[in-house]
Amino acid sequence: MSSRILLVEDDERIRASTRLALEDEGYDVSEAGSGEAGLEEFSSKATDIVLIDLMLPGMDGFECCRRLRRTSAVPVIMVTARTDTHDVVAGLEAGADDYVTKPFVAKELTARIRALLRRARSMGEPSTLSFGDVEVRPDEGTVLRDGKEIHCTRTEFRLLCELAANPGKVLTREQLLDRVWGYDYFGDGRLVDVHVRRLRTKIEEDPGNPRHIMTVRGMGYKLAV
Amino acid sequence: MRPSRWRPWRALGLRSRVTVTFGLGALALSATMAALTYFTARQFILHERETAILRQAYVNASLARSSLLRSSSPNITQLLDSLDTLPGSLSVLEQRGFWYATSFSVGENAIPGSLRGLVLHGTPATQHFVLAGSDQMVVGIPLPAVGAAYFEVFSLAELARTLQILALALAGAALVTTAAGAVIGRWASSRALRPLGEVSKAAETIARGSLKTRLGAADDPDLSALASSFNEMADALLERIEREARFTSDVSHELRSPLTTLATSIGVLEAHRDELPPRSRRALHLLSGEMRRFQRMVDDLLEISRVDTGSAELLLDEVEVGELARHAAQAAGAIRVPVEVDPAVAGLRVSLDKRRMERVVANLVANAGQYAGGVTRLAVEAAPGAVRLVVADRGPGVPVAERERIFERFYRGQASGHRGATEGTGLGLSLVAEHVRLHGGTVWVEGDDQENRFVVELPLGGGARDGSRSNGAAGLPDDRPSASVSREAG
Repeated sequence: MSSRILLVEDDERIRASTRLALEDEGYDVSEAGSGEAGLEEFSSKATDIVLIDLMLPGMDGFECCRRLRRTSAVPVIMVTARTDTHDVVAGLEAGADDYVTKPFVAKELTARIRALLRRARSMGEPSTLSFGDVEVRPDEGTVLRDGKEIHCTRTEFRLLCELAANPGKVLTREQLLDRVWGYDYFGDGRLVDVHVRRLRTKIEEDPGNPRHIMTVRGMGYKLAV
Repeated sequence: MRPSRWRPWRALGLRSRVTVTFGLGALALSATMAALTYFTARQFILHERETAILRQAYVNASLARSSLLRSSSPNITQLLDSLDTLPGSLSVLEQRGFWYATSFSVGENAIPGSLRGLVLHGTPATQHFVLAGSDQMVVGIPLPAVGAAYFEVFSLAELARTLQILALALAGAALVTTAAGAVIGRWASSRALRPLGEVSKAAETIARGSLKTRLGAADDPDLSALASSFNEMADALLERIEREARFTSDVSHELRSPLTTLATSIGVLEAHRDELPPRSRRALHLLSGEMRRFQRMVDDLLEISRVDTGSAELLLDEVEVGELARHAAQAAGAIRVPVEVDPAVAGLRVSLDKRRMERVVANLVANAGQYAGGVTRLAVEAAPGAVRLVVADRGPGVPVAERERIFERFYRGQASGHRGATEGTGLGLSLVAEHVRLHGGTVWVEGDDQENRFVVELPLGGGARDGSRSNGAAGLPDDRPSASVSREAG
């Protein structure tokens, strides 16, 4: 069965051309011209991945993404017109997993989609990984804190697995970008930073003063043992 | 005013001119005052002295007359000795052709002949003369009742000395006043010119690219006008630059939506190119080549407009330069090109913006490919307080006259003949310069006809320039630590 992609984009021509490109790659595509329509479409059809343009009339892309996140851990790629810190970081904080910049090339977009879908399916770690009061079960795709399940997006989960599988070892942003997102050396490290921040709010007692996921200045991150 | 006549004077500079003017003014004033003082004082002292001399001479003359009247054969020398005289004055008496004096040195001969004659004929007289090098005044009073004449010779040497000292003192005072005038002139002009100095410093800072530099408010109404008009000018300038940059940015943004549709659609066509007839395939090839170039140009324009509006931000990461250079060379397609890393900087971690440095390398490699037969090697070298990234190519060398200009936007010098099938945007090298400048570094080209060496020098220890500030941080000093924008995990 092919994966279904939801396109939330107000520009009809971009929607049409993107649809052509994605269908060529073998995906099923559904479309929405606004944030509201996108949420409706998402709730009515099983969707594997959502593409949201940040500049939407009415409900903007950030809000659409936030609402989506309240109910779902579906991978979200946002489409920005700019690579400025503000847009990218705000989009990631709203819950997006990755981003592409307009004008994007279809190849680049499908590469991002493949990376997100692939890792959502290939959780290979066998046993339970645990640290402090946190328990990660890669097989089931669940995280428990104090025995209670925590809701993570798939990217957050994958990031946590990478850190938990290498306790006490510093992982550079480049390594994490490569392993979690499938980026090369020049991937945007802000992806890692924002996801770490999001993870901390979920598994740390005091996210401002983390005890599990530690920052190693000028190097990267590590899981404290 | 003929400019030629004033040129040497103008060449002195305003401050020196004010100093000289003040000094000369003080000199003229003090010299006049000194001269006036001197002559008035001299007149006064001389007059006083003469009055005293005359009074005493008459007193003495009447004493001599009365004592000569009293006795027929008096001891005249004794008489003269008994007279009350001022210090330095001598009495001389003539009676019936005989001369008597209180001093051996001064006698009849000491008295000028003309005066002697006048007095001996019965007319009292005074005369100034010089005796043995010193000023003298003689008063002659005929005493007809006793057939005698009384002379008194006064030395004016002391008076001359007094006047000399006075003159010296006044000259000294004039000199001091002149010097003081010059000093005051210097101080006043420096003080008056200080705001100008601030203005020129601010103008320099603006010229160097810190467009938000402004003059502080001045209390002085004269200066506040200058400061506010300067600031207004700077505001107007900034607004203009921002408007132009915003226009570029807006245009580029507006182009993004149609470009996305174009790029995606061409991508679809390319995926199906095997289904196309050969002529259409050829057309598609042209279309997609130009599409890529167009896209790059819009990207470059946006990048430049971000620099121009000051919204360009550095995303700092600590990376190993050698590693970065290797990855960047690879990403730029220079796969078989050697990357030589000086062992001295091999493990060095430098704080920089990976994406921008990747663009720098990519643009330099692309430039070498377009204009110089391809890149031959990359090198990371140590430099004092800095690290250098060198991209070398096969030449032909960039003419010396063009070595700065090739970093200008859309500059196409002699190499423009090489254009044609290239995909250059004309912005590549200027973006290299902007990226490097944001890092506080410099870029230049050197070499000979066989090889160009494009050298990017990045300072160690965070020399990131004002571009690293986040939005709305206007007014903060340029050397503000870049850590505030460096991506600090957590």
